[in-house]
Amino acid sequence: MTDFFQNNTVTSYPEITKTDFKAINNRYFKVIVIQIALVFIVLFIIAIFMNYKDHFELSEYSMWLYVLLSVAFIATLFLKIIGFKKRKYAVREKDISYKKGVFFRSLTTVPFNRIQHIEIDQGPIARYFGLVSLSVFTAGDSSDDLKVSGLLKEEAIQIKEFISTKIDG
Amino acid sequence: MDSTENFRQFRRQSKKGILVIYLNLIYKALKAFWLLLIIFIQKFSNISETTIFYIYLGVGGVLLFFLIRAYLIFKNFQFKIENQHFILKKGIFKKTSISIPFDRIQNINFKQNIIQQLINVHEVNIETAGSSKAEISIKALSFKAASALKNAVAIDEYTRGVENKETTKPLLKVGFKALMKVSLTENHLQSLVLLFAILVGFYQQITEISGGLGKEGILDSYIFKNNAALESSVFLIVGLLLLLTVIAVISSVVRVLLRHFNLRVYLKDNALEIYQGLLTKKSIVLKKDKVQHITISHNPIKKKLGISFITFKQAISGKVKKKQDKIIKIVGCKKEQIAVITDLLFPNENLEAKNKHFSNVYFKFRLYLRSIAFLGVLNVLLVVFQEGNLVFLGNLLLLPMVVFFVELKFKKRYYILNENVIVLNAGSIETHRTYLPFFKVQNIQLKQTILQAKREVVDVVFQTASGKIKIPCIAMVNAQEIYNYTLFKVETSLKSWM
Repeated sequence: MTDFFQNNTVTSYPEITKTDFKAINNRYFKVIVIQIALVFIVLFIIAIFMNYKDHFELSEYSMWLYVLLSVAFIATLFLKIIGFKKRKYAVREKDISYKKGVFFRSLTTVPFNRIQHIEIDQGPIARYFGLVSLSVFTAGDSSDDLKVSGLLKEEAIQIKEFISTKIDG
Repeated sequence: MDSTENFRQFRRQSKKGILVIYLNLIYKALKAFWLLLIIFIQKFSNISETTIFYIYLGVGGVLLFFLIRAYLIFKNFQFKIENQHFILKKGIFKKTSISIPFDRIQNINFKQNIIQQLINVHEVNIETAGSSKAEISIKALSFKAASALKNAVAIDEYTRGVENKETTKPLLKVGFKALMKVSLTENHLQSLVLLFAILVGFYQQITEISGGLGKEGILDSYIFKNNAALESSVFLIVGLLLLLTVIAVISSVVRVLLRHFNLRVYLKDNALEIYQGLLTKKSIVLKKDKVQHITISHNPIKKKLGISFITFKQAISGKVKKKQDKIIKIVGCKKEQIAVITDLLFPNENLEAKNKHFSNVYFKFRLYLRSIAFLGVLNVLLVVFQEGNLVFLGNLLLLPMVVFFVELKFKKRYYILNENVIVLNAGSIETHRTYLPFFKVQNIQLKQTILQAKREVVDVVFQTASGKIKIPCIAMVNAQEIYNYTLFKVETSLKSWM
């Protein structure tokens, strides 16, 4: 294994609070911004189109509609900005952890010896920035497994291989 | 042991299986088309004789087709046992071959519906964690063959030697009287909801077909008329409530009797064997290692009578909704029997001596907050649709109820832990006590809203192969301790957890 992992040794009694969490790649922030922008562009187009056709005879409120959309856009963007810094992950000798959230915080840890399979996938925007998402799955009724978005591709593959060797060994 | 000898070669099920498969096919067809049949019978006199002749011919043809199909299904259904794997070949045109290693088998159940009881064969279902239905269902085997198969497959090597001598005395035997006690103290509201769900299913089926026949709206208008009549009379409402209560009680009794009639539980070294059922007899072998967690529940009346029920949870596939049949339940347990079962699953834990840890007061605060939000919505609805003193009356009735339930819920929420097991107590009127061994946990989560963060409390969520278990609102320090300890237990455990 590379040096990357060797800092994270596990004592017999691991303590999650004393673990160093890594932030996800800064470029992923751009991906999020572009994604939100795309959604709102579509919404704006719909709004303009509705205004143009004026099916609902709402033309006097159209100003408010745009204001509302803009406020929603800025608010979402703001939430994502402060939320982005909270997205952090850690790979230790025997488990992988991910934490996120400002208003709804969560911290999840999946031990390697309970992982059934690992997936790396990539959306079109993330592909442009060379970023991927890494998901791990456990058995059974596992709706809430762990997904880390915004990893460098090489890094994700490294993690995946690291976990795979751990599972087999 | 020579019980595997029968299964070395590929073999078919008992020949009576053709009959079982045949009747099963007919039953399925009837279930799909029963409404058409009723309509057909209603209009019987209007149909000309030649058409009737053709209809008979058609039905005869379908029956013959089913018979051939049943025979072919039987003919192509072959199974054997080969070096610790169960191997099955089936399929008429699309051939399937399934191979299951023994240690992946979760349970082996025997089932007998009325027909199978009449011709004295047993249906054997082999279940694994991954599938929603039984992965392998052998429709007809003689009892001897079925038990030989079970012995060959289910029992671990070291218990195989003692297997054949019958355990004479069951751990638990619930007779008719005890079962009546159980069923009368059931949660009748739940029974009513279940019954209602079945009726809604029927209703949908009827509207689908009557819609297809161009009779849309007849049923709706019928129900609508009844609704109008209902609103006009208070007596009718009271009568209806009484009727509903009676129906609820009857449906609980019927449900419990059907499922748990003549319930017997035998204790084997590494497993529990459960026999139950009235029309469809079932026998379940529950392997100790495959149990993810258990819940012991009772309500105040059951507690007075000294009976509780135990629910066993095993690994389920993520896509499956919680099906009633998949949950294994033993009703009517006395204290001693619960002690024996918990001792079998979690030996020498001595949990009762440990401290109870209650949730933080914030949990109560959150419950109140949610109830108030709910009441608020309710009030708005009432004000919009029905002005007058109904709002006041409703609140007068609901507020004490809310306080009562929240206080009760808070009082019953606590956890106990020792080195290996965590026990969670919860419930309002009913009490549920869940036993979860740490090493069964698949991932663990701490969840916290910003309000919780200010008070330094957090929810702990354990994800197991059979669902989530939550401890709400405990102090951050304790939560982190549990978090770290659980991970430590899981990561150092070498036992199989599934």
